[in-house]
Amino acid sequence: MVSTQGKAKAPISKFNWKEFKKQKVLMIWSAIFVVYGVVFCYVPLFGWLMAFQNYKPAKGVFGSEFVGMAKFAQLFSDATFLRVIRNTLAMGVINLVFTFVTAIAFAILLNELQFKFGKKSVQTISYLPHFLSWIVVTGILNDILSGTGIVNELLMKFGILSQPLNFFAHPPYFWWIVGFANVWKETGWNAIIYLAAITAIDPTLYEAAAIDGAGRWAKIKYIILPGIKPTIMILLLLNIGNVLNAGFEVQYLLGNGLVQRVSQTIDIYVLKWGISQLDYSLGTAAGIFKSVVSIILIVFTNWLAKRSGEERLF
Amino acid sequence: MKRFKAVAILSAAAMVTSLLGGCGNSNGKTASKEAGKDGIREYTAFFSTTGIELNDDNVIQQKIAEITGAKVKENWLTGQSASEAIGTMIAGGEYPDMIDGGDGSSQLYDAGALIPLDDYLDKYPNLKNFWSEENWDKVRQPDGHIYWIPQFGNPYKKDMSPTPAEAFWIQTRVLKWAGYPEIKTLKEYFKLLEDYHAANPTMEDGTTNIPYTILCDDWRYFCLENPPQFLAGYPNDGSVIVDPETKKIVDYNTIDEAEEYFKILNEEYAKEMIDPEAFTQSYDEYIAKLSSGRVLGMVDQWWQFQTARDSIDQQNLADQGCSYVPLGLTIDEGVTANYNTKAAINVGSGLAITVSCKDPEGALQFLNDILSPEVRILRGWGIKGVDYEEGEDGLFYRNDEQWKNSTDSAYKASHICAYGYLPNYAGVLVDEKNASDPKQQPSEFAKSLPKDVQECLKAYNCETYLEMMDPMDDVPGPWFPMYSFSNTMTTATEGGMAWNKMREIKQEYLPKVVMSSDFTKGWNEYLKAYKEANPDAFINEMQEELDRRIKNAAKYAK
Repeated sequence: MVSTQGKAKAPISKFNWKEFKKQKVLMIWSAIFVVYGVVFCYVPLFGWLMAFQNYKPAKGVFGSEFVGMAKFAQLFSDATFLRVIRNTLAMGVINLVFTFVTAIAFAILLNELQFKFGKKSVQTISYLPHFLSWIVVTGILNDILSGTGIVNELLMKFGILSQPLNFFAHPPYFWWIVGFANVWKETGWNAIIYLAAITAIDPTLYEAAAIDGAGRWAKIKYIILPGIKPTIMILLLLNIGNVLNAGFEVQYLLGNGLVQRVSQTIDIYVLKWGISQLDYSLGTAAGIFKSVVSIILIVFTNWLAKRSGEERLF
Repeated sequence: MKRFKAVAILSAAAMVTSLLGGCGNSNGKTASKEAGKDGIREYTAFFSTTGIELNDDNVIQQKIAEITGAKVKENWLTGQSASEAIGTMIAGGEYPDMIDGGDGSSQLYDAGALIPLDDYLDKYPNLKNFWSEENWDKVRQPDGHIYWIPQFGNPYKKDMSPTPAEAFWIQTRVLKWAGYPEIKTLKEYFKLLEDYHAANPTMEDGTTNIPYTILCDDWRYFCLENPPQFLAGYPNDGSVIVDPETKKIVDYNTIDEAEEYFKILNEEYAKEMIDPEAFTQSYDEYIAKLSSGRVLGMVDQWWQFQTARDSIDQQNLADQGCSYVPLGLTIDEGVTANYNTKAAINVGSGLAITVSCKDPEGALQFLNDILSPEVRILRGWGIKGVDYEEGEDGLFYRNDEQWKNSTDSAYKASHICAYGYLPNYAGVLVDEKNASDPKQQPSEFAKSLPKDVQECLKAYNCETYLEMMDPMDDVPGPWFPMYSFSNTMTTATEGGMAWNKMREIKQEYLPKVVMSSDFTKGWNEYLKAYKEANPDAFINEMQEELDRRIKNAAKYAK
């Protein structure tokens, strides 16, 4: 993106060394990013060749036998893979909806706080979990949801349960536990960007609204929400592209044999049937599938946004 | 300001080039230090199992380095499974100098990551003589070369092992409370646990006891699924039963004994005798539970709960009778238990030298040297006067403090270096008087045991753990153990595919069977799902391997 901006200022037809020299620093910086992008985003794509081969590490990408779409056929005839697509989508959507809604709601609520010190400290505390690694978060979850954990203790104290419930042994709970973990970890962090967008709203609008007799609720509804709408749309677009990145660590760490039917995501499938079994071709095919679906999702939602005249990515 | 910019750009550029350089180098050799300070060669090693990371200034490691001129930095599995770790390593194409790939060994071979050792072996007599010609032949891969050196199951002169492998374990306090009864069958075992738990629901400090837990974390779930083979009276082939008469593979997942075993587990679960978190706990949580002394009984391999035993010892929980003793249970009284077999070579994995090793000769020389009599003592016993004493009769012994040190994890990391996953003999030392491993020294064995275990063994009139359960039987045949084959299977073959699907089904359905409110229904659901995994394909491949091993061994019988 940086590089295209650089070019936009100096169209090719008018290219001259003087102009170029003037922007020397900009050019160097752009070049670094271009190199970075090529090396880390495009060169690895070469490995996609493996998906169309019966790849053997000893023979390498050039020596392995080409099998066309056979690995994809194998993938889609595998009931396990279809199940992990379902799981990934389900958890991705749950994560997206909940982290999204909670972050916006949290930002608005925080904005309504008049007491500045309280606002700052709540904000700081709430985004701290973002910096915890999943291994720590799953450890905490394991503790609070365990038989002697706080959740079971409370449920028993209020008489909702007669004996401790092992949350991790029941497949129906799993997606929601993951969703909850994501909300807990990311709400504060995601809210920061909305808070910034809210502060950018012209204060005179509030004054004008107050004169017109708008209360808090009306201000939120008619000023804040429309004010941050562009931000919401852009983030929504970006996040939809990420739906299939529903997670790896959290499911890997919280999952167990009993709930594997609902807990495994595409990433875990790649690890389990691709890397562990040395079937790198199958793993790559699954990875390609994931990337292609993500690209389709982004393009599609971008097109939707464009059609309805909203903010969009490209 | 300008200067600052220039520096920033330069350093950014340098970073990019170094990253690029890093990429281009990935197929090259690892940067193992040829010769570190004081001319000591350093090698790296990775072992596909959990272990204790030694401190860099480990005393005995340094001592061995002075003798052999080399040292090995050991790395262990953390978190992942062996095949995940190995699969990732192969994908990256970079290896440590030495590796024990565990279940991933054949993958490493397939990937061309290992160097053939045949040509080298003749130059290193200690290594060459480590296994017999017949055993070396068993390790040969399809291309006819030897790629790894199995480290275990190799007693020098005589088998001294007084410790069992897999067993039903029970805390001594339970047996003591009941007046040390004879426990032979699974039913009696659970009856005793029930009675004890009813009378003593908590430990001395008020912590609730857990009568029985099951380790079920990923590949370690064998603690749930493989007891049927033992309960039916067969040895640990691990993945199947081999009928010694007909030389046919039997699938233990569906035999009557398996159904009976899971039925009993199901009943005990309903009676709240089984830890409700058994099937969702991780290995770490399991070890923490055992270490707390709360768990009365479980199935496990001796080596798998070493840290828990050490911890129980360090906390003096033996005073409360929290140490474990093994029981060799069967389904019916009439069946002879066969939990323990004499040492057998596991051809499925071993220590290998990788293509990343710059100096295979040096590495093999080191492996050769650490089998010398002097180093064997250091690895097993430690330093004389510090870790052990020598009596006038030439017998080694440890005093109480030295024994206590040997289970202290901090002391282990800073002082002891057994190189446990590099080739080493069990059995006796070269003097043929002292055991290789202090814990196997007959005169010391009793001392190394926790107090409550000593008391318990005495009550049963036994001297070792083994006598508590069943004696070491001879290896049933040249095929033993069959798990050394099934562990190497991947989805590349139909049988391997079935084997992986079976595991997935068992990991999901067996816990369900145990937790089910209607056993028959749960068991039938399991059987139905199990059939869909195509177990016959797996059994057929195992049968082929069995036939091959029997045929191979026939060559040496003449």
